[in-house]
Amino acid sequence: MYLIAILVGKITILVGKLFKRGSSLPGKIALKIDKNLLAKLKYPQNRIVITGSSGKGTTSSLIAKSLTKNGYKVCHNSTGSNLSFGITTSLIKCSSLTGKIKTDYLVLEIDERYNKEVLTSINPTLLVITNLTKDQPPRQHTIDIVYKDIIKSIPEQTKILTTMDDPFLRYLNKDLPNEINYFSLKENKYSYHNQIFENLNTTTCPNCDSKLIYDYYNFENLGSYHCSNCDFSYYEPDTIGKNLDLEKETIEIDNEIINLGSDTLYQAYNVVSAFAALKLLGLSNKKISTTLNEINTYKDEYFDYQNKKFRYFNCKSENATTFNSAIFKIKDDKDLKDIIIGYSIISKRYPHTDASWLYDIEFELLNNKSLNNIYVCGLQKHELETRLILAGIPKAKIIIKEDLPSMKEDILKSKSLKVYCLSHYDYGDIFKNTFKEEN
Amino acid sequence: MKLKIAHLFPNELNLYGENGNIKALTFLLNESNIAYELININLEDKINFNEYNFIYIGSGRDIYLEKAKKVLSKYREEILSYLRQDKIFLVTGNALSIFDFLNLYEFTKLDNYQVGNTISTTSLCNGKIKGFQNTNYLIKSTDNLIFNLEKGMGNNNTMLEGYKYHNFYVTSQIGPILALNENLNKYFVELLKGNKE
Repeated sequence: MYLIAILVGKITILVGKLFKRGSSLPGKIALKIDKNLLAKLKYPQNRIVITGSSGKGTTSSLIAKSLTKNGYKVCHNSTGSNLSFGITTSLIKCSSLTGKIKTDYLVLEIDERYNKEVLTSINPTLLVITNLTKDQPPRQHTIDIVYKDIIKSIPEQTKILTTMDDPFLRYLNKDLPNEINYFSLKENKYSYHNQIFENLNTTTCPNCDSKLIYDYYNFENLGSYHCSNCDFSYYEPDTIGKNLDLEKETIEIDNEIINLGSDTLYQAYNVVSAFAALKLLGLSNKKISTTLNEINTYKDEYFDYQNKKFRYFNCKSENATTFNSAIFKIKDDKDLKDIIIGYSIISKRYPHTDASWLYDIEFELLNNKSLNNIYVCGLQKHELETRLILAGIPKAKIIIKEDLPSMKEDILKSKSLKVYCLSHYDYGDIFKNTFKEEN
Repeated sequence: MKLKIAHLFPNELNLYGENGNIKALTFLLNESNIAYELININLEDKINFNEYNFIYIGSGRDIYLEKAKKVLSKYREEILSYLRQDKIFLVTGNALSIFDFLNLYEFTKLDNYQVGNTISTTSLCNGKIKGFQNTNYLIKSTDNLIFNLEKGMGNNNTMLEGYKYHNFYVTSQIGPILALNENLNKYFVELLKGNKE
């Protein structure tokens, strides 16, 4: 059955290619034929899995592309199909008819809730956990559930790499016997000392439950911390990003200057985690920095149109952290600006329209004199309007529209010269089509 | 006299944007020119129940629910006395699991989360109430109910949800229910006005 599953999977991939349809269907069919297929495939010696609430796509791409640029053959689920069927499709693509994956490295981005289904079979040599934040609450419920799902399926010999900056993940060694390595982003000119994001996941020491004190914050729960009671604290790990300069889009890691390819803090975290992973895989600092500097993984969009500067932030519905990341960037821009917020879908997985996550977004940080207007549209425009009012943004500055095209005229007439759009990816093309191209 | 609004453990019990309830309530108090003081109570703080006119507690991670229960159970008599004075106490989401020590209502822990939009009516105010459930706790008791559900899961597998005792309001619905329902928010502000008088 195993060989038939691979053969049928490969034929389905081929048919999909002919019709220019990429999907997770081949994996679905193959797993239907042999549900234990993943355990039977012959994997390469080096197997890297990247998981977490956000940044796993970019981090896995940075790792896979760096390895490729350094001359290694890599099997990578580069299309972002990170659930069981998509992963199986990617593995069938890379495998021979006998199920051998003939590459030097396997690099897989895996959805944080699907690790339990695939980690035992893949038996990764390195597991990168980028972060754990609130994401899709109707599916994930709490970060504790996600955490338990991840840790229960990690083989003992798997090396783990995660962030020292999150006290929750720093304490992974409480629950696991594995070798745990950490990366960190050192205090920088964007760090702050008083909590600015109201709803944090962790406020108490994971070791003794006493109050956790932050020496500085980089973003949300990330920063340097110590317990008010016991000796639990942040310490400097082997890989640290220093001298972060988002204006120049550079960071220094192990005396190497790396171009981030973006001016956002989260990209800095992606780059530091990828650097740390590549270091653990044995690449030299020089090789890592040379290749990372050649890779562009940035997903946000900038363009000029009718004397205005437009920027699209690729956020994710029900993931407040992605919106907070964009807001963290925008808040420091002193120029007069219009901001667009909206989305037409929340999730393809379920029909729920939960609005609670909007209250984890710190819209309050946008309430200053450089804000001209905020335009809201799409599925939860009224819930967004209420949220913005409760963030203290004057009602006169909140403009409700049905969709992006219906606000075009107002935006183009606006006195502000900058326009930011924060949206789920469903609005990416519509935003560009609305504002980028001449009618 | 200023009203005193107490938000219990906002740093820890903030799982599903529950701070939206306090934002909505205080917004309406401001709009109504009603003077108030908002007191955020931390786990290590001493709680003077006699001082407050409105107490709110929302959903949290299991570890924080346990910590909250440990703290609040020490105040059993003070809480019961507060409630018997008809002072207002609103409990949302899985915070309903904290108050078993009051012996007022029973609840069930579910094996799987109850997740989905809720639509209901209530005698507290006019109109439909929009809410959301994302909880592994539901109230079991079927007396002193608050919401008549059209959509969602009520107490003990019925379409009736919530629990009310004097002005103690408990619901399994999560998040910013006052922010999403202006009429319900107005109900509590009117109740507070009466409480003040």
